[in-house]
Amino acid sequence: MKTEIPLSKPIRRFLTSTEEILDTEISLLRQADAEPGGTLVDIYTYDIEKNVIILPAQYIGLLKDFVIAKQCTNLLIKGAAAKKSRYLVCSYTEDSVYRGMRQIYLDALKDEAKKETKLPVQKLIQMLFILFAHFNDDINELPWNAIVNASVYHRMPKIRKTQLYHVMKESKTDMDEMMEQETIVPRRYFVLNKAMFYARDMFLAKTLPADELMPVLNIPQMKKFNHLEVKEMLTTRWTQTAWYQSKVFGDNMLAIMERPLNLVKWDAEPTLDYYFDLYKIGVNLTDNLISYMTMRDWFVWEEPKHLLEAHKNKEEFEKKALKKIFGDLITDAWEDG
Amino acid sequence: MDDASRAKICRRTVMPVKEVVELLKRGKALAKRTKYKEAIIHFEKALSLDPNYPESWLLRATAFIETGRYKEALADCERALALDQNYADAWSKKGLVLYNLERFDEGILASTRATTLNGNDAAAWYIKGVCLDELGRNDEAQEAYGKSLELEIILDMDAERKKVGR
Repeated sequence: MKTEIPLSKPIRRFLTSTEEILDTEISLLRQADAEPGGTLVDIYTYDIEKNVIILPAQYIGLLKDFVIAKQCTNLLIKGAAAKKSRYLVCSYTEDSVYRGMRQIYLDALKDEAKKETKLPVQKLIQMLFILFAHFNDDINELPWNAIVNASVYHRMPKIRKTQLYHVMKESKTDMDEMMEQETIVPRRYFVLNKAMFYARDMFLAKTLPADELMPVLNIPQMKKFNHLEVKEMLTTRWTQTAWYQSKVFGDNMLAIMERPLNLVKWDAEPTLDYYFDLYKIGVNLTDNLISYMTMRDWFVWEEPKHLLEAHKNKEEFEKKALKKIFGDLITDAWEDG
Repeated sequence: MDDASRAKICRRTVMPVKEVVELLKRGKALAKRTKYKEAIIHFEKALSLDPNYPESWLLRATAFIETGRYKEALADCERALALDQNYADAWSKKGLVLYNLERFDEGILASTRATTLNGNDAAAWYIKGVCLDELGRNDEAQEAYGKSLELEIILDMDAERKKVGR
């Protein structure tokens, strides 16, 4: 790894050891419009020769370091899976899209029956695949987010304060997700989506203790959180929201998350085997969450190429699923919106 | 008025010719698109027209840093500072160059000067932190990192607010 970007010592070491463990190369790239959490473009997912971590250009110090630590951990988990066995992700097929969309449709009908103002049919049809894809994205991201954050927390004590800020920020974004569609999305899915993030936040709240909050508290905008524990901060956010009912589901999901994650020896020697174990735990956790949400037949474990191909064919899958669900009732005009 | 603002006003009293301003503007736009070679040519033209304008030296130094030409960048930072000893951004860039040249002791001095002139320079605080870290001065490094993080978070929150307001 050769970079012009200044890096703190622990991060430089971590980057080097990641390259050594995986026998690969990592490049850092700053981009003005990069995602706040950075983006990992890796050789285990894409047909490329070198891994690239894309960083927001405005992150110049520890915020950038945390993004690198997080994405390196992601890379280690993916790489360990690819080297020790196969790296798989939650993908979808024509049939699984049909099953998912059909289930969402049936649940939406139940909701609609109770509503005074009905959702226009066209909107309801459009919502089916959007919601399906949304859960696909989330299930491929959320369990790993908890694992990666816990790992970084234990391995990189010097950037914990930065991590805390990222976690709080991410949590806020995730909580706001789907809010604009609250009246459209079937209640069950709205609650499940919120519950997933609630569980992730509560797990992290337990993992990141309160004393790490300083010196973030020196920042005027964050003073209102003074004397609050991280756990309290995240809990307060969740309990004061309109989706408090997410807590019931969220607590169950938290238990699902904690069961395997509490057994992890986070400070064990960071070898390829260690990261492969984290991968297996992540797969298991994903399966359990999918099971809990009764979405078992929505997704299939496949290589990343399969998912990339599925994304390319998503419009086709959606059209075919709609034809199967609605038969001749569906017209092209409906499908195209 | 803080030191940085005062220094900025002092520097502005030496007004560059219109052509220099235009060249620098075009050079900056090229650098933003990572076309550093072309950017350097523009900065060089500006310098040939007016070698007494510190910002031209600093901009060329920045382009040199991006292309890994640290020794040339250092020389340019020093030229900028010879013209204006209170040029906070030039001290900040000098700190970064010295870090890249692994001259950590000098890097600390330069970034400390930068943060004295402009306490809100998150990058300078960070460079000070990494240089201190390299020399094993952990407590001092943590202090500098802490300050850098505070400033970065404030900038990030402002950017978020602007994004939401858009």
